[in-house]
Amino acid sequence: MKSKRKWLFRALTICLLLAIAGTMFIIGRGHTIYLDNKTIDYEGQTYEGPYQIVVYVDDEQVAKLNKRDRGMATCIGQGFNMVLEITQEKGGEAATMGVTMTLPYNMDGIIINLPALLAGLPQDAYLEQFVPAVPDVPEDEEIVTDELEMLEAVPEV
Amino acid sequence: MSEMKNNNTLENDFGSKFGAFFRNNSVPIMFVIICAVCIPISGFSPSYLLNEIMTRMGRNTFLILCLLIPIMAGMGLNFGMTLGAMAGQIGLIFVADWQIWGIPGVVLAMIISIPISVLLGLLCGKILNMAKGREMVTSYIISYFINGIYQLIVLYMMGPIIPIQHSAIKLPRGYGIRNTVSLLNMRQCLDNLIAVNIKGVKIPVLTFIIIGLLCLFIIWFRKTKLGQDMRAVGQDMQVARDAGINVERTRIISIVMSTVLAGFGMIIYLQNMGNLSTYSSHSQIGMFCIAALLVGGASVDRASIGNVFLGVTLFHLMFIVAPAAGAKITGDSMIGEYFRVFVSYGVITVALTMYEAKKRKIKSLMGRQLKLDQKEEAK
Repeated sequence: MKSKRKWLFRALTICLLLAIAGTMFIIGRGHTIYLDNKTIDYEGQTYEGPYQIVVYVDDEQVAKLNKRDRGMATCIGQGFNMVLEITQEKGGEAATMGVTMTLPYNMDGIIINLPALLAGLPQDAYLEQFVPAVPDVPEDEEIVTDELEMLEAVPEV
Repeated sequence: MSEMKNNNTLENDFGSKFGAFFRNNSVPIMFVIICAVCIPISGFSPSYLLNEIMTRMGRNTFLILCLLIPIMAGMGLNFGMTLGAMAGQIGLIFVADWQIWGIPGVVLAMIISIPISVLLGLLCGKILNMAKGREMVTSYIISYFINGIYQLIVLYMMGPIIPIQHSAIKLPRGYGIRNTVSLLNMRQCLDNLIAVNIKGVKIPVLTFIIIGLLCLFIIWFRKTKLGQDMRAVGQDMQVARDAGINVERTRIISIVMSTVLAGFGMIIYLQNMGNLSTYSSHSQIGMFCIAALLVGGASVDRASIGNVFLGVTLFHLMFIVAPAAGAKITGDSMIGEYFRVFVSYGVITVALTMYEAKKRKIKSLMGRQLKLDQKEEAK
């Protein structure tokens, strides 16, 4: 009976740890979000960006985007909230808008085109994966693994 | 006349007590003197020193606390804590590849490190049971042996066998992990979550809460059945065995616990640093943690939570001020660098020598006592 209870506790502990790990896996997924204020063509129509967009994430200004600018923000988890302060024309009044979206889990870097988002276009129009440029020839890296280097160095005679 | 005699006895008492105090605390006293000399020469402001000490205390204390449990079980200084550090690093490599950031990343890395630490701890404990009385040197060599396996896994198996996706982590050749893995996305996430700034001194409250919880756990654990068993095993294995304690099992548990905690400690340490040196972060960590504990006045068979805190403070204070003081005195900061490294190893050597000398002295005293008893019996 005592042994059964011991095993039950062990199994429960493992289940609890797995559940915590699973939760952390989902809520801790980090994304780098690139915010573009660039003109976009979608289904034959052109969507111009406003004069300026100021982006706030967690009450902190992360980007001030004039036309053709790109800004960056980071987000942990799938839910991304930002507040946009949009100025359509130079010297015009700024309008504030809150945006909430769910980010795809499998993307590390995400590009969000703000003019397309503001125009209410579908997700595939304003959201795409950021693919970092890979150098043609990868640089080599020497690995230093132990402290026995001096044994390998043979003095010249 | 009798008053004078009393005074002499009092003076002798005081003298012998002072001598005993000095003998028992010679290492911390020596470090207090070194620090007292070096601090004014270094020219650092008190707030700078306090800030540095707070940061280093948050970074290292958890790792050093994990050494207390094997000492309690009479297994000496666990040089095998490096095994836990490697497990923690493997957890962090996975988390960095899966792009789990912030505190969830730290927690996930800790959970990943648990099974690896348990396995390595079991292996280490089993081997140490075969080498009773030579635990420290055995655990030291085990750490080198496991380091070889760690390198095999990280350098050759990660990529082709164990999936690693990100090229920022993988070596340009397509397999193996780079020399440095960036942990920028979880850098100081624990330290900054609840941080209090008092006159320019940043206090990482959450990290200290975690350290405090571990201290409470150790205090509570000492009073449990298993904790009492460990102390009994630490005092005398034969007596403990006669009392019905499973000595081997108790010793293995102490090493497993120490290894798991070392894994957690390494993750806390590296989240503070913000990057991971894949092939070297773990290699010296055991040595410096043990040196810090010994500086705090601990010995091979006796260590307390107080020793940990005093040790971290003094050892790291010396680490901070020695290069600057060396540079001011000699014009070369490398002198201070040499000094602090030489002191770290020196402290361990002195502590081990003192322990052996003390053990031999007790043994010889016991032998003499036995001889006297036998003589009296013969009369």
